Amino acid sequence: MPANKNPNLSSLSSINTDGSRNFLHPADVKGKFTLGRRAFGVLLLAIYILLPWIPVGGFPAVFLDLAERRFHFFGLTFLAEDLWIGFFLLTGLGFSLFYITALLGRLWCGWACPYTVFLERLYRRVERWIDGDAQQRRRLDAAPWTPSKITRRVLKHGIYILISLLIAHIFVSYFVSIPKLYSYMQESPLEHFKSFGVVMFLTVCLYFSFSWFREQFCIILCPYGRIQSALTDDDTIIIGYDAKRGEPRGKKSDPNAGDCINCSRCIQVCPTGIDIRNGLQLECIGCAACIDACNVIMDKTGRERNLIRYDSLNGLVGKKKRIWRPRIALYSGFLCLGLTVLGLFLSGLRSAKIEIIRMQGQPYYVDETGVRNQFRLQLVTKQSEETKLAIELVGLPEGAIVSGLEETVTLAAGEETTKTLLIQVPKANYEGDFHFTIEASVTPGDFTVSDSIDFVGPSAYTLQ
Amino acid sequence: MNNNDSDIKLREHVYDGIEEYDQKLPNWWLFTLYITIVWFIIYWVGYYQLPLGLKSDTEKIDSAIAAIEEKKQAELEEMMASINNDSLKEMATDASHVAAGEAIFQTKCIACHGADLSATLNGIPLPGVPLNDAEWKYGSTPLEIMNIVTNGSPDVTKGMIAWSTQLSPAEIAQVVAYILSKQPG
Repeated sequence: MPANKNPNLSSLSSINTDGSRNFLHPADVKGKFTLGRRAFGVLLLAIYILLPWIPVGGFPAVFLDLAERRFHFFGLTFLAEDLWIGFFLLTGLGFSLFYITALLGRLWCGWACPYTVFLERLYRRVERWIDGDAQQRRRLDAAPWTPSKITRRVLKHGIYILISLLIAHIFVSYFVSIPKLYSYMQESPLEHFKSFGVVMFLTVCLYFSFSWFREQFCIILCPYGRIQSALTDDDTIIIGYDAKRGEPRGKKSDPNAGDCINCSRCIQVCPTGIDIRNGLQLECIGCAACIDACNVIMDKTGRERNLIRYDSLNGLVGKKKRIWRPRIALYSGFLCLGLTVLGLFLSGLRSAKIEIIRMQGQPYYVDETGVRNQFRLQLVTKQSEETKLAIELVGLPEGAIVSGLEETVTLAAGEETTKTLLIQVPKANYEGDFHFTIEASVTPGDFTVSDSIDFVGPSAYTLQ
Repeated sequence: MNNNDSDIKLREHVYDGIEEYDQKLPNWWLFTLYITIVWFIIYWVGYYQLPLGLKSDTEKIDSAIAAIEEKKQAELEEMMASINNDSLKEMATDASHVAAGEAIFQTKCIACHGADLSATLNGIPLPGVPLNDAEWKYGSTPLEIMNIVTNGSPDVTKGMIAWSTQLSPAEIAQVVAYILSKQPG
């Protein structure tokens, strides 16, 4: 089938003109960015794998306990009712992405996206190891099905499936914890059909994505990739080709030619199959492979490095570079605002909670002795050990009688309990509605949580 | 800058100066469209043409709720079949049942019956009837007490609510055991 031999701006290199797929085989590349990405990718993999294993405060560092609806992050525990914090998590993640994109383009895609990390650090390494370099891989693709090719394919896809299974298990362990996952694995899949189903579904998705789909996801499906052109401007640092220096392309011996010798190394190493010399394109995931590839050639030809480099569009055409610009100032302002609000909320977050609400039914009872209100008290601890709450009522008038309240309530780890609280104010001391506070000092932790509510009743005048 | 951009055909229409390439969609993209069409046929045949008895979401929820109600009813009937005045009295001497009943009583019942079952709060009368005076408004046998707790006051205009919506039959039996254990004599 006719493949797009020369990458251009109006069609995808990875899709042939008849709609079929043109599998890309990026060539090996060496250089400081490649080395850096490799190290960073390995670090990220270690983090993904280790987070469910490291215990912090009695729970795994990250444990989204769906069964108990308790979410543990580095020793902090969130309940379903703390879900509003998720607003900050989601908007914070989205906003950070906007901020970084405005400053540094698709840095996330090339360096930190799990999709890239899994593809580049695991699956492509396996492929490189079994099938050889780009040329050998291309030759093997075209070769007839010999026993040697079949062996290699079975081996490669077998390892792909194993890696996919491993990633799927690690993913599920974030939600059920490692010990539970291990116990699940020793029982019949039918016993834990949901977890098993998730693992199988994920394995199939991961295997499909990384063995076949690959860059198609980044180019066509990923929504972040689609909105990036709205997030960058002429001052954003992207990966670009210095056309002023490079053009016109020509042989090294040609005195009229620019620095680009048209060796096409930048195209060969590109994982999405573009020609970076055509300028910024939607396919570019900012992986910097072309920078390293070009620098090797520049060194060989004795020319200055960085014909392809991290630079802004303004910088590439020789204009003044600007980092601080209205967009960044605005984003920084929003970032500070968001962080401040989040900090305020988090500083008020406690590992125990007390809540007082009015009992359903009649709001108050009056008789010849006085006025009575009934409340429902809810006590929650998110701590992983026995918690004592010493409870005190503040702001009651003199002579008020309280029933249903123990001075110290002991809750088991993670317990939640409801109590009934009666407060009777004698006629002589009753002066109308008042507001009061219920406080609980919590051990362990040595902090106080409180809630307040109105005591209601008729006006003191009518009661007399 | 590009050598083969001239190979790319354009569609004939122009809207506000915007033109459209005439290129093939990726085959995998088209495949997702075909899959939805196939799925539609499976769904349409399965749900609307064949008597397979596939349920809609509403029907699933309704039947799940019905199953819960049925289970509750069966649980109650089983409890009532195994329980009688003697077994309830026996529960009242079992410390673990009494303790469980006390815990429920202290959270649910004290608003009206008082923490000490006297239906008073430091001498002030509460809405409920006292439960520690061996006087009973609606019958004194353990089963009669259990019936009142389960179904509420026979006078629907006032008095206690039916606790069967909030407590299981076993929990109600424990509360009754606790009340019995507090009877004088």
